[in-house]
Amino acid sequence: MAPDHTPAPPLVFTPRPSAPPPPSTVGVMGWLRANLFSSVPNAILTVLGAYILYVFLEAIISWALVNAVWEAPNRRACLDAVGRSGACWPGVIAWLPNLIYGLYPKDQVWRIDLGALLLVLWALPLFLPRVKSKVAIGLTAVLVYPFLVSYLFLGGEKGWLWMGLVAGSLATFFWVWLTAICEMRTGQGFIPLLVRTLAGPDPIPERARLVRQLAWAALFVTALVIVSRWQLVEVPTRLWGGLFLTMVISGIGITFSLPAGVLLALGRRSSMPLIRGFCVAFIELFRSVPLITILFMFNTMLPLFLPVGVEVDRLLRAIVAVCLFAAAYMAEIVRGGLQAIPKGQYEAAAAMGLGYWQSTTLIILPQALKIMIPAIVGNFIGLFKDTTLVSIIGLFDMLSMARAVGEDTRWLGLFIEPFFFITMIYFVFCFAMSQYSMNLERRLGGGQRR
Amino acid sequence: MSSSTSTAPPRASFLNDAGVRAFVYQAAVFLAVTGLLYYLVSNTITNMSQRNMSAGFDFLDVSAGFNIAFTLIPYREGDSYLRVFQVGIANTLLVAVIGIVFATVIGLIVGLARLSTNWLIATLARWYIEVLRNTPLLLQIIAWYFGVFNLLPRPRESMDWGGLFFLNNRGFYMPGPVPQEGFGWTLAALLVAILGAVMLVMWSNRRRRATGRIFPGGMAATALIILLPLAVFYGSGAPLTWDWPALRGFNFVGGISVPPAFCALVVALSIYTSCFIAEIVRAGIQSVAHGQTEAARALGVKPSRTMRFIILPQAMRVIIPPLISQYLNLTKNSSLAIAIGFPDLVSVWMNTSLNQSGRAIPIVAMTMAFYCVVSLAVSGLLNLYNRRMQLTER
Amino acid sequence: MTTPAIELVGVSKWYGGFQALKEINLSIAERERVVVCGPSGSGKSTMIRCVNQLERHQRGDIRIHGRAFGGGARDDEAIRRETGMVFQSFNLFPHMTVLENCTFALTWVKQMPEAEAKRIAMSHLERVRIPEQAAKYPLQLSGGQQQRVAIARALCMQPRIMLFDEPTSALDPEMIKEVLDVMVELAGTGMTMVVVTHEMGFARQVADRVVFMDQGEVVEQAPPEEFFANPRYDRTRMFLSQIL
Repeated sequence: MAPDHTPAPPLVFTPRPSAPPPPSTVGVMGWLRANLFSSVPNAILTVLGAYILYVFLEAIISWALVNAVWEAPNRRACLDAVGRSGACWPGVIAWLPNLIYGLYPKDQVWRIDLGALLLVLWALPLFLPRVKSKVAIGLTAVLVYPFLVSYLFLGGEKGWLWMGLVAGSLATFFWVWLTAICEMRTGQGFIPLLVRTLAGPDPIPERARLVRQLAWAALFVTALVIVSRWQLVEVPTRLWGGLFLTMVISGIGITFSLPAGVLLALGRRSSMPLIRGFCVAFIELFRSVPLITILFMFNTMLPLFLPVGVEVDRLLRAIVAVCLFAAAYMAEIVRGGLQAIPKGQYEAAAAMGLGYWQSTTLIILPQALKIMIPAIVGNFIGLFKDTTLVSIIGLFDMLSMARAVGEDTRWLGLFIEPFFFITMIYFVFCFAMSQYSMNLERRLGGGQRR
Repeated sequence: MSSSTSTAPPRASFLNDAGVRAFVYQAAVFLAVTGLLYYLVSNTITNMSQRNMSAGFDFLDVSAGFNIAFTLIPYREGDSYLRVFQVGIANTLLVAVIGIVFATVIGLIVGLARLSTNWLIATLARWYIEVLRNTPLLLQIIAWYFGVFNLLPRPRESMDWGGLFFLNNRGFYMPGPVPQEGFGWTLAALLVAILGAVMLVMWSNRRRRATGRIFPGGMAATALIILLPLAVFYGSGAPLTWDWPALRGFNFVGGISVPPAFCALVVALSIYTSCFIAEIVRAGIQSVAHGQTEAARALGVKPSRTMRFIILPQAMRVIIPPLISQYLNLTKNSSLAIAIGFPDLVSVWMNTSLNQSGRAIPIVAMTMAFYCVVSLAVSGLLNLYNRRMQLTER
Repeated sequence: MTTPAIELVGVSKWYGGFQALKEINLSIAERERVVVCGPSGSGKSTMIRCVNQLERHQRGDIRIHGRAFGGGARDDEAIRRETGMVFQSFNLFPHMTVLENCTFALTWVKQMPEAEAKRIAMSHLERVRIPEQAAKYPLQLSGGQQQRVAIARALCMQPRIMLFDEPTSALDPEMIKEVLDVMVELAGTGMTMVVVTHEMGFARQVADRVVFMDQGEVVEQAPPEEFFANPRYDRTRMFLSQIL
């Protein structure tokens, strides 16, 4: 209802230009004033903080860089050169392969590198544009990749079953890249594309299925041929160590804990009292005791639990313990995610006539998992840090390796340097992950904030 | 495939009968779990009989026959295994309690620093948190032990604070109080002072309600609790002597002392946990909407009272549950003591006692039972607290 | 001429390099009822928040009953006490009952005996017509009820000026009326009121003057009849055509 009977033409409002703010509130001076010297106590705190920072940084830089020794045959030489005022890095450098690969034979180390490269390659399509099957690729990277590298890392005699698994895993890897390439070039997955070219654009279902099965069979046979020609020397797990071992344990832990945690969480929310009871008991037991007691328990009791004569690998004992522990924690995270899903979603799924498993896997879990990603990453950080505990039960993880440096006769007593080094490694990994998860949280939260 | 079930209505209706399905699922899970348990137990029994091991608790009365480097409660070589268990629990709880106190204080300070308007202080606090919580705790414990407390000077060159506190590579020493006859009066005075303080606070509240005048009851009560026992103590002739630590030969004797492993453990645990507590404190205070502060300010409420009556009560509801679980974490993490040889429950019981007696099953069960009891008790309390909070909220 | 209740002289305020208020000059007489309107981001909320110093202005003077802010914390506090503030998001204290929300400042700021504080609080709760909700917690009430409690809470401190910062913007339509009714009633008592709102019906009914702001400036101000019938500026016309 605009006033239409106005006699006078309207005046034109021209906003006056912004005046520059008072100089004391902007620019470097304004920032300093507002953030460092807003009051006398604040100024004192600033000076104190700056002093602490200076002392701390100065000490670290002069020790780690300025006064450090970079080349020396042994620790004595370092001490003669700079005493304790500078770091003795040659010890760390000499032990670097061991810190990363443990006691893995030097001529076989390429297998670990190849395994790491494979993981990178497997995950690479996730970051490529126009790749649509990202969920499937991500899932195979977590669930299928481990079989392939298990043989790569372990080597030795492979039975038929294992060979089949490894070949299947390699076939999946081929599928991942064929799919990624096809989707990037044509926008269609590898298998659908194959079906279309071989069976026509609108094939009868039987033919399409036949083509699909043949394609997988071809992939599998190719992989099997390749795998059967591999002859890798066995590297027993007692030689595994360093960062490599840390990665293996935490990797298997997270891989196992995700599905197990989902099942446990669903069980805990189930309406069936028996299933709920088992899940609650398992989760509460493993969450209320320290990881070290679980490691000890499996270390001493797993041989008792199994039939006479079955030898359990030390590493396997630790992995079982870590997996069950991580699963219990993951279950609580998943439960939190499930609780955050509004009741309407369950009702809507039920109204669509979906059964329990359908509604859970198609409607509820995808939403819950999305909310849970930051917590899952947090759990993974915890797991990554907790793997250091395996050094207590005698495995040679990065921490044990760092302590072994100082027991080497050449580097006797060298303790702070290797510790400083592995601390940096742990920090870089954990910090990167936590920043990533915080980033995700911010992005996910942004869409949901009111 | 999903389509095949929907095209077979009779079978689907049987499977979809919730009661039948629930029964079948549960029976299957029950059979699987009991089967697995049976398998494990029967294997264990065979294994144990082969190795001549026993699962009974009869060994608890047997003399353990080893010494323990540090005990909170009295223990002599030759005491029973049961006593070893108690010693372990006492040591674990000691570490936990002291660690919790320090972690809370440091965490509170760092958390508030993180919220400071001073950019430098907030940034320093942030990096303190980031660095320490993103490195493994075990690594920190070992670093504190081998990198700091073990490298301290020998007793002769101890670090010395006023001749009262000494720190060297054998541990930390401080004077221990030895009450003399008549010290009971001071304790009685303390009791009276506490009672008086409670009454004072109640009186000042009642008077404020009646007349509106505000009396600094908290300050007066604190003064009473400090001053009254002090006056009685000196009035009765200061009946307390101190057992001073003193250098005898190569080591200190007397006073209260804790070994370096204890110091390293407490320092590492409290610093590590303080990072998490700091984040909890920060999140708690930030969870209180800024509008609350503004509303209080618009009503003319003083900032200190806004903090005490408006911000803190609301923040505490957000802070307390995760804070308690951090306390629980610290208690569980104290089991890492084993890496530096501090005799906590896991180290002295699950390691030394287990290796000596070979009674794996009862020992593992007892250890786990202890931790389970602690965390179930704490989570029970927490549930109670949450329920009460929900009642007052809505 | 008597001293105005509120007087802004050349008030400027910046957020970083952005100027939110550009040398505002405004004078509001005692017992006058002023409605401030304008598009979002025009600075109207910033201005009203400067009036009781929830935000600090950087240039110019703000005088309440002739006394200017800036003469020390204690004086500022006394000046601020002349004003009561009602927020868009109510800002009730969720951990206190409705009655405690009202008595809190009376007992801890005015140091009043509890019985008297309760009596005053109840009288104001009756005035906003929700005495029966006194024992409940704010989150148990509807939005309209919460806002009325917030008005009662501000009135308890017996301010001479009431400031309303979009008091109905966070409310469902059917609740807006119950809050506006309370405000109309309050206007009838002769309270000095500054109301930031888009409720033009309210402006027509009770305002003595409507102030239109845009881009940190007062574009024009006029009695409501004139303001709505014959706005002088193009900007005002555009705004009114969008909002009415």
